[in-house]
Amino acid sequence: MNTQIDNAIKRVRGYWFIDGFTEMAIGGFFILLAALLLLSGSASPATFSSWFLSVAGEISIAKFIGIVTGILLLWWLKDHFTYPRTGFVRGKRITAVQILVIIRNILLFLLVPILGLLAASLFALSASSVLASIPVWFPIGISFIWAVFFALGGRWMDLRRFPVLGGLILLTGIAIGTWQLAIGLPTFPANIQPSISQPFVIEIVNRTLASLGFLVLISGIILTISGFIIFLRYRKENPSPYAEGV
Amino acid sequence: MSRPLQTISTLDRVIHEPARLMLVALLSSVESADFLFLLKESKLTKGNLSVQLSRLEEAGYVEIEKTFRGKIPHTEYRLTKKGKSAFSQYRKSLGSILE
Repeated sequence: MNTQIDNAIKRVRGYWFIDGFTEMAIGGFFILLAALLLLSGSASPATFSSWFLSVAGEISIAKFIGIVTGILLLWWLKDHFTYPRTGFVRGKRITAVQILVIIRNILLFLLVPILGLLAASLFALSASSVLASIPVWFPIGISFIWAVFFALGGRWMDLRRFPVLGGLILLTGIAIGTWQLAIGLPTFPANIQPSISQPFVIEIVNRTLASLGFLVLISGIILTISGFIIFLRYRKENPSPYAEGV
Repeated sequence: MSRPLQTISTLDRVIHEPARLMLVALLSSVESADFLFLLKESKLTKGNLSVQLSRLEEAGYVEIEKTFRGKIPHTEYRLTKKGKSAFSQYRKSLGSILE
């Protein structure tokens, strides 16, 4: 019986995702970010610093506007569509201790790929080959981290589609990494100067941003499609707002 | 009688009733929820849900907050500290019986 109680509790935790709006909002936000990453152009050694500042500024503004707009839109949609159909739930407040535990776990989790890279550079590869292969391992690493978060989130909220979404995102990351490998890694000159605006470093930056842009774009599309399917199912199951005596 | 079996008689009878157990379990995972949410999730009838919530309120396990969302009256239900503690104790007792 305790298992049944646990499952009921997990299902309620996932109520925020019951209507598909949250996934569509996150997906839309990802598509917006990807558009910025992919349309921001390529850096060149002459314009690197101004290009970098411009992209960083645009992404920060897009993040701020996207998150605020997304939250307000979600709030409105749930207030006018979801709550009148399946009711209102106020989520549990997260305590300061819980936030610290979450931050600690995220930092510990992020240590895994960092230690992996250090081990690779110490025992198997040279530092230059690790740097040159950033466009390959970066999307794979990011997609792996997202896949783990989706799997854990799915387990915590009893949402079976989440591990599937995580798996699809991981496959996307692997595909992008393979594509970057297939087109060849940036080659280093014999004498490396300690400057970030050298052509091969710029090439690594551009290709990594392109990898990240495609990963975020495809992940956004996956989340939007998933959210839309969930929304259609939710609307079919709850066609009209609840009315007294019906 | 063995100790786990004796524990059965100490189970909280307010919570042990299946409909109320479901409501307490639902409320334990949120800060608060409204009547419609509990109705949809529990699949109880409106009358039965009202009776069970009143019983939990009488026991001091659930508190009711009446507010307005816009111009529409809105009633939210939340577990009290006593309710949370009783549910936690109930689950421990149940776990020890079933082990």
